Amino acid sequence: MKKFRQLPAALVTLLLLVAGCSSNSSSSGGSGNTSKPLVIGASLPLSGDFAQPGEASKKGYTIWQEMVNKNGGLLKRQVQLKIVDDASDQNTVVSDYNRLISQDKVDLLLGTFSSLLNIPASAVAEKAGKTYVCPACGSPDMFNRKFKNIFFAQPATAVHQADLFAQWVKSLPADQRPKTAAYPTQDDPFAQPVVNGIKDQLEAAGIKTVYGKVYPADTSNFDTIASDIKNAKPDLIAQGAVFEDGVGLVRSLVKAGYSPKAMFQTSAPSNGDQYSKSVGAANTEGVFYAVSWSPAAKYPLNQEFLQAYQTKFGGVPEEDAADSFAAAQVLQAAVQAVGSVDDQAKLSDWLHNNKVDTILGPLSWDERGAPQQAFILAQWQSGAAQVVLPQNVATSQKIVFPKPNWGGQG
Amino acid sequence: MKLAQTVLLGLLTGGVYALLASGLTLVFGVMRIINVAQGALLILAALFTFEIWRRTGLDPLLAIVVTTPLMFGVGWLLYRGLLARVRAAPEAMTVLLTFALAIAIEGFMGLIWRNVFRSVTPSYFASSFHVGGLFLPKGLAAGCLTAVVVLGLLYLVLTRTWTGRAIRASAENLQGAQLVGVRVVDVAALTFAIGVATTGAGGSILSILQPVFPASHYVWISKLLGIIVLGGMGSLPGAVIGALLLGVAENVTSAYVSPRWSLVVFYVVIMVVLLVRPQGIAGSRLREDVAA
Repeated sequence: MKKFRQLPAALVTLLLLVAGCSSNSSSSGGSGNTSKPLVIGASLPLSGDFAQPGEASKKGYTIWQEMVNKNGGLLKRQVQLKIVDDASDQNTVVSDYNRLISQDKVDLLLGTFSSLLNIPASAVAEKAGKTYVCPACGSPDMFNRKFKNIFFAQPATAVHQADLFAQWVKSLPADQRPKTAAYPTQDDPFAQPVVNGIKDQLEAAGIKTVYGKVYPADTSNFDTIASDIKNAKPDLIAQGAVFEDGVGLVRSLVKAGYSPKAMFQTSAPSNGDQYSKSVGAANTEGVFYAVSWSPAAKYPLNQEFLQAYQTKFGGVPEEDAADSFAAAQVLQAAVQAVGSVDDQAKLSDWLHNNKVDTILGPLSWDERGAPQQAFILAQWQSGAAQVVLPQNVATSQKIVFPKPNWGGQG
Repeated sequence: MKLAQTVLLGLLTGGVYALLASGLTLVFGVMRIINVAQGALLILAALFTFEIWRRTGLDPLLAIVVTTPLMFGVGWLLYRGLLARVRAAPEAMTVLLTFALAIAIEGFMGLIWRNVFRSVTPSYFASSFHVGGLFLPKGLAAGCLTAVVVLGLLYLVLTRTWTGRAIRASAENLQGAQLVGVRVVDVAALTFAIGVATTGAGGSILSILQPVFPASHYVWISKLLGIIVLGGMGSLPGAVIGALLLGVAENVTSAYVSPRWSLVVFYVVIMVVLLVRPQGIAGSRLREDVAA
């Protein structure tokens, strides 16, 4: 009898072990090359709040690694990834990068996900003189520390992410242009600056701000916020959203029965199916967002990336996977150009002075490591996400405006 | 008008909170166990609901008849397998154990449902009743109504059945209950299972109110603790009062101060109550020296 009573406890222990192992796994590289593999270390949020983008990042790095190894490796060495889990925790990410550098002695580093984690992690890399390319670190706080070795592998920093949207609003004829705007935003180092960027540009163009409250990351109830916005009657809503909050606000606006003439959200609408299933496909019509990457763009290797992802993981890659792939491409370009990984100051110097072709388009950086290009403006149209600006990569020639009423009842 | 709308939303939210907090307060009342895993179990039930809805299209509120017994079973197994072993240990030990359990459940959910947001979207999930100038979200109203029914049933079980009397007797006076022949170990397992079973209904309701994610449980356990501390730990009516008050307070703060402060309300309440009235609104002060 005693044995049976211990069974559940044993099962739970097993569960703990399994959960622990799975979040600590590191993928190893291919085989068959005689020289020592080139080890690239990264810590990613594979559990906790950022687990979703963290996993996408890992997929992006993995696809890149397999493509590089298939083509003979980097500097003729097979590439090995050492990915550890920081549980979305700032303290853990710091100790992870310290360990990768000083104990595991990895050859190269790749960044983690989110500005929140990259800000402390990049400080570790800078101190150790390691080149640090991060896939998602657009917060202004990343670039005001005069670091020489950090590079943000996306087309623009957060403040300029929605430039195309703001320019488009300003270009509307005076009688159609929104006159008032609401800027609800999560207290998030990546979302808030984007919305502030839009706000500054639209206020300068004479569009009045009627709502601008900030809510914390844990907010789950948006009914009151929606009701507040409804009372303010803005023509345009630009929300600094991550995911859950973007879904929450749309749902609550539908429930409150308020539909603005134009709706922009950061990040959330770029999550494809997850977004449309969560808000209801009919409610996505006309929602704008800015993206760093589009599956349709004809940049070198983009189609190969799509195919490799489809084969290995199935489906369309997440934007975060594409950004991570691009971050690895940036590092690869520098290593190939310099021809060695021993002096990383040389890698950083090279990146400061050159343009790199990635699946996000060509990227270049200023002396702080901030990228100098522009994000793509996308919009949900008839249940699918379309690129609407800039015109040379657009997948749809029209822009839905004004936004029709929410597709759901209410 | 704005105030009426805000208070209305607050009361509806509070009704749902009451159900979510009921299991936590019940388990604490009887066993002095603060079940930190309650939030994780809630998310687990929400994900079960998602799975049922995805496979069969069954309305999430009807899925309660499946999730409740399921979670009852989970609770019973957890108590027999784990918590019964630390019955004699200090209370801090159960906090540690249930916290570990919460993390284990989070990991388990990540393995099964992956780390993506899951939403249950029946036809009414994003629509409202419009009364006068006010709106009443249908999902929230249905959830609140269901919560009231489930809480009513729970209250009847506790007050009108011998099992319920045994549970309350164990809560009020453990030795006395033993003396009159209550098998306190069985009662404890049953109470814990009932406490976890409330997450079945709670999780099903939650799944239509917002997308859920394995790590969503942290914010829930903090909210629920705030509610039961305010209501008086161990008291079911207290939990209901605490839930309604905090539901309204959260919404009013969000509308009139800033959404930034609306969650802080829960933590401030915990501190103030512990300083001013540690037994909460409806809790009773126990003489620990005699009880021990």
